Amino acid sequence: MHIAIGTVRGVRTSLTVGRHRLWDLVGLAARLLLGVVFLVSGIIKASDPAQTRVAVKGYQLLPDGLAETVAAILPYLEIAVGLILLVGLATRLGALLSALLMLAFLIGVISAAARGLSIDCGCFGGGGAVQTGATEYTLEILRDTGLLIVSIYLLVRPSSWLSVDRLARGRVEDDASDDGDDGDEAAAHDDVRGRPADMDTPARRA
Amino acid sequence: MAKSGRGPVPGPASGGPKGTKGKSGKGGRASVAAARRSSGDRTQLIIGGVAIVVIIAVIAIGLVLHSRNTAQQGAGYGTSTKSVATMDANGVITVTPVGNGSPGVVLDVYEDALCPLCADFEHQFGQQIAKAVDDGQLGLHYRMVDFLDGSSHSGTYSTRAYGALMAVAKGDGSKPGVFMAFHTAIYDAKNQPKENGSTDLSNAELAKLAGQVGASAATQKQISDGADVEAAKKDAQTNLTSLTDVAAKVGRQAGTPTVAKDGVPLNTNDVNWLTNLLPKSGSSSPAPTSSGS
Repeated sequence: MHIAIGTVRGVRTSLTVGRHRLWDLVGLAARLLLGVVFLVSGIIKASDPAQTRVAVKGYQLLPDGLAETVAAILPYLEIAVGLILLVGLATRLGALLSALLMLAFLIGVISAAARGLSIDCGCFGGGGAVQTGATEYTLEILRDTGLLIVSIYLLVRPSSWLSVDRLARGRVEDDASDDGDDGDEAAAHDDVRGRPADMDTPARRA
Repeated sequence: MAKSGRGPVPGPASGGPKGTKGKSGKGGRASVAAARRSSGDRTQLIIGGVAIVVIIAVIAIGLVLHSRNTAQQGAGYGTSTKSVATMDANGVITVTPVGNGSPGVVLDVYEDALCPLCADFEHQFGQQIAKAVDDGQLGLHYRMVDFLDGSSHSGTYSTRAYGALMAVAKGDGSKPGVFMAFHTAIYDAKNQPKENGSTDLSNAELAKLAGQVGASAATQKQISDGADVEAAKKDAQTNLTSLTDVAAKVGRQAGTPTVAKDGVPLNTNDVNWLTNLLPKSGSSSPAPTSSGS
């Protein structure tokens, strides 16, 4: 049923639908990338709490008590964000948290570099003081910036293939009309082409 | 927690589609659009709510695990009172129970005096280790390294602290508990210098610390003179080579603390690592005093 609708519509507006599908695929890739990164880094941090504490304290940004709290919560926040992104549950919320985390990491690493600290970022385990010259700030900043951009992409255009979001919304809209995940795609139009969705939505519905 | 407080963020998620539909709804399908919109909004709210519940649940479970994994073991026991220490020609400091030169379990402990993880390790497991030694079940080979010298204010702290441990082991190792008490004091948060800190302990301050836990005047002078620092520097290199070999067996880089049994590192992230090594009867007696008699 669902497939049939997709096919019919695909014939009608093959060009636009094709493009949406492409972006939905990009969204899926973004979700999987961020989800796996957060899940892996969170599990590594959670499995070595002492090392994580040292890593957080290594930045010398937070008072000791607060650093302990952050070190306790951060691994599991990462795991949680990784999980909801992987399954695409409230993707935009996951993307927002992901972007905020990346922003926080970037501030930490850039400030560590600026203050001349010799620390490992502790991004995937490790962390704390390293020998002078053994820092990898440039690499760490580039990586986190890349992940921040991916997060912002998902924040702007959260719709993607194989997501709980899509599943749930599709069901609601199947009940309401014949029109699959139309609202989703209309929103995508706004984002991708920067023009109002109503310009072609009514035509398609007519 | 503050972040998940932003939970209603699914609002924005529904904001996009809602906004565009609102505009198109000006036509004749207003009621249909409104019905869909409210249905879609409700779905969005449910999805957002479920996501927030998932996040909070994961963090809550995590905090329980965290407190379990970082719980202090053997809390309340205090420092060792029935251990003696000796040092061999290679600077390896051996701690054994009084009157029992060959306890059932003997471990190699690789540490750097400046290493914060070693201090955490001492804080979490020090009392459990002290009790196991006092109970006659455990012996230790301390193999100190000094690769964090460069992170200390003086540039030599790790080596000098190792020299001080040597002096205490040689001079006062036969006095029950003194060496282990000094080792504990070195890692006490009040005493351990910070990495890249603005200060660390001088030899005189290390000597004073040793005096506070029972080291003799002769030992204190030995420390404040830095008499064992040269030997410590040499032996720390030997220990580092040994540590590198040991760590390589599990594919790790040399890092501290590393606790090894028969030359293979143990997973000390498992909070029960020591309990699992010791005879069950010893580990199951909960009251620290019961073992004293």
